[in-house]
Amino acid sequence: MLTGIRFEGVYKLFGAETAVEDLNLAVNAGEFLVLVGPSGCGKTTTLRMLAGLERPSYGRILIGDKLVNNVSPRFRDVAMVFQSYALYPHMKVYDNLAFGMRARGASKDVVAKRVKETADVLGLGHLLKRRPSELSGGQRQRVALGRALIRQPQVFLMDEPLSNLDAGLRVQMRAELSRLHQRFRVTTIYVTHDQVEAMTMGDRIAVMDSGRLQQVDAPETLYDNPVNKFVAGFIGSPRMNFVKGRLGSSGGMTSVSFLGITTPLESGAELTAADGEVTVGIRPEDLMWRRSAGADCTLTLEADVDVVEPMGHEAYVTAICKGETVTSRFPPRSGVRTQERVELALNPARLHLFDAQSGNTIMQRPVAAGVDTLRSVGEARTDDATGGRPDRQGQQEARRVPSRSEEIS
Amino acid sequence: MSAVQARPLARNELIVVPYRRVSTAAMATNVVLILLGLFFLLPMLWMIFASIDSNPDWAIKIPSPTFANFADVLGRADAISSFRSSLILAGTTTLLTTVLSLLTAYPLSRMHIPFKRSFMLVILFAAGLPVSMLVVPVYQMYVYLGWLDSLYTTALFLAASSLPFAIWLMKNFIDAVPVELEQAAAIDGASTFRILREVVLPLTVPGIAVTAIYTFINAWGAFIIPFVLTYSPENQPGPVEIYNFMGSHGLFKFGDLAVFSLLFSVPVIVLYLFMSRYFSGAFNFGGAVK
Repeated sequence: MLTGIRFEGVYKLFGAETAVEDLNLAVNAGEFLVLVGPSGCGKTTTLRMLAGLERPSYGRILIGDKLVNNVSPRFRDVAMVFQSYALYPHMKVYDNLAFGMRARGASKDVVAKRVKETADVLGLGHLLKRRPSELSGGQRQRVALGRALIRQPQVFLMDEPLSNLDAGLRVQMRAELSRLHQRFRVTTIYVTHDQVEAMTMGDRIAVMDSGRLQQVDAPETLYDNPVNKFVAGFIGSPRMNFVKGRLGSSGGMTSVSFLGITTPLESGAELTAADGEVTVGIRPEDLMWRRSAGADCTLTLEADVDVVEPMGHEAYVTAICKGETVTSRFPPRSGVRTQERVELALNPARLHLFDAQSGNTIMQRPVAAGVDTLRSVGEARTDDATGGRPDRQGQQEARRVPSRSEEIS
Repeated sequence: MSAVQARPLARNELIVVPYRRVSTAAMATNVVLILLGLFFLLPMLWMIFASIDSNPDWAIKIPSPTFANFADVLGRADAISSFRSSLILAGTTTLLTTVLSLLTAYPLSRMHIPFKRSFMLVILFAAGLPVSMLVVPVYQMYVYLGWLDSLYTTALFLAASSLPFAIWLMKNFIDAVPVELEQAAAIDGASTFRILREVVLPLTVPGIAVTAIYTFINAWGAFIIPFVLTYSPENQPGPVEIYNFMGSHGLFKFGDLAVFSLLFSVPVIVLYLFMSRYFSGAFNFGGAVK
């Protein structure tokens, strides 16, 4: 039995502070949705409202078809993995795992059986008699996960569960979490500020900033077609380069000038603003060394190398071009040195354009095959002026679009 | 090859630890501390020596050992009854204080209460008030209520006067229990009662123990309140009894006084030893959060 989740016009105010503002979000049944954003963007508050640890100031929260605004956490049938794990320090691992089932009145035999199954899934079998203080960070993390898994809840909530682990363990647990989701298919909301976690784990990613939902989309869509400058800058590492540009027209076609060059815009692009100041976004991976660039990189820029960061399989070169600092991707061992003048190549089809004032995307690009909706399948409010209340249409649609996990099954 | 090679030590070989230089400052500190320690140790030394001396007086001297003083004190009915009184007084005070401070501290620690900060400051202020200041009005109140000369009503006032500090103490212990544990338990499906019983209470045990022991020790040694609020001999607790030893029984019996003081200190010393376990951090929340 899979359960979806809906937030309808949800606000959360703490005194004069607005932590979450007009959140409208539908999470599909069985979906793994990653809620991502910088610290203090409201993602944890959103999760806590869903868990019942905070009450929304306005709006409705539905789990399945049930309005849960006034339902206490114990009756919501959700399980949560806390960032700090929140294991009961005075109980052995066995009792930590069994606590939730006992609280729900499961019989001793059933509890024992489920604890064993869960411990086997997570490789905790040999640790059942230990206390949390006798476990390593990774083991504690597994116990916290086990405590959520054992209950077979309708919804999993995870609040930065991997942030306390070291890098190696984090990669391993990331894969393990994805595997567990493949196996149990429980609707999951996963909060993180790590965009790598978001990109690798989510069926869809919801990006939040300053209490507002910016965009909800599949990872690739988010990467290719960010709705605004914030999302563009947040998703992708190293960060997208933003430079000043100006729209104009040459020979009947709209063109954009930036960093001393002018290029006509692709015919397939759909432009929502006519002319004036724009911000041009260029991902570092789209800005290459002339000598290693492909034939589609028709634009060439001259720049002075400032910093070279070798990563092993590639190198990121920060260079100054017409007074603006841009990061570009170079092949490894290019031999480029600081202060050297280099030629950078760019495919004009990979440009992103944003309104200079609002930061909203003004150029929608055709999307790669396989993704049939241009804009988000959930929905995001990006701008007060244009927004208003998003219609329910998008949410209806959201339920029809299969999530990645469903496609796999 | 290096010339120096590690070799196993012979069985009886001594390992010579190089002499560690002690700084003048450290030396001075230690001397001062030892002198201070001696200063406080002397009365106790007198108490021990006098208790087993056949002919004790004010001075500390090597005793001519006897257990006659012990026999004498243990044979006195008022001495025995004062132990009973102290036990009732301190026990009742401890029970009241611990239960009430727990019930007060939990919401103060966990809930949003209007004017909580001001309330806590008032409590802190109250904890600092000298109780002897209140003795006269309280005595008049007790006369009016007809509560004089009862160990239980006296315990009521002792409990009231020890509550402010106990609430502060207890609140700090409850504050240290991560609130996320309660939230985790709530999401796990536990009722409020189950959360309190199985999560909060077990983790607050050290706080409860420390508060209880602290209150007990204070009530055990309380003098002025029981001295004013009780008068019949069978209701006089230990400290008042010691005072009586010193004057109202006519002849000054140093030996009996020392024995009684010694016996009366035993429970406190035992409790202190017990309490030090909690103060030394034997219990912590290892593994609960990060």
